[in-house]
Amino acid sequence: MNADISQVSAIGGSAPGRFIAGESLPVLSRHVTQRMIDDYAKASGDFNPIHVDPDFARNGPFGRTIAHGLMTLAFAAQMLNAWTNGAFDESGEIDVTFIAPVFADDLLEITGTVEEIFEREGKPAARVRLMCRVGDRQILAGTAIQPFEPIRKS
Amino acid sequence: MEAYLRYEDVEIGSVYPPEPVLFEIGDGNVDAFLAATGNESDLYDERHGARRAPSMIASVYLIDLLTARRSPPGGIHAKQAIRFHRSLAVGETLALQARVVDKYVRKERPYIVSEFEARGSDGVLAASGRITSIWGKDQ
Repeated sequence: MNADISQVSAIGGSAPGRFIAGESLPVLSRHVTQRMIDDYAKASGDFNPIHVDPDFARNGPFGRTIAHGLMTLAFAAQMLNAWTNGAFDESGEIDVTFIAPVFADDLLEITGTVEEIFEREGKPAARVRLMCRVGDRQILAGTAIQPFEPIRKS
Repeated sequence: MEAYLRYEDVEIGSVYPPEPVLFEIGDGNVDAFLAATGNESDLYDERHGARRAPSMIASVYLIDLLTARRSPPGGIHAKQAIRFHRSLAVGETLALQARVVDKYVRKERPYIVSEFEARGSDGVLAASGRITSIWGKDQ
């Protein structure tokens, strides 16, 4: 069972014990509204009409406005920072393919599972399989990588 | 504003913009980004005299970079890879530049692949990555 993100954000410091293959990451949930999409457009400066202009979007590939893919990516980063207590900001990596759009009024859920621990550039790192869904609809596919400091036994 | 670039005119190897575009990480754009994404984490509270900025503010500065590419409206982000090399602080300025590394058509959709770098004023790499976009309808 995944932890709720409000519980995980309370964990202080880097906790290497969490970097274990099979570990479930916290779940971040967002109810995406057209207002959020509009606010994100203002924050990012991305006023692509496919996001903010219903008339334009009606004739586009999805028939209505869609959320910015980078907004979904920002949610993923938020979840990963909660899991790593901010280490993702410093040394994390993410690689995703946007599979399906997020529409206004969708309830988005993002989480992940540690697939493996491997060595990268002389340091252990966790490879996370990301999961991002709206109901049964998969929104993105991809992985994140988070290097971490191993526990040193004296 | 310059005219939009046409897909057929995008050249692999081309660098955009010709000179790096500068992005200042300020309280205003950080606050707007955090609010728009519902991010209430205390990681970005002002502590110890310096305020940390979320690295994924990349999703804001990448728009400045893509705007410099002069792609037409209606394009879609298809894939994104980003690696963060260090944390960011409010008050610093990043220099951004990208290079087109591939273009292809799949399922009648025209794709452009670019690699980008974001460097601090000291020249040190802050973030790097790869953007794959579906080109908007040529105007």
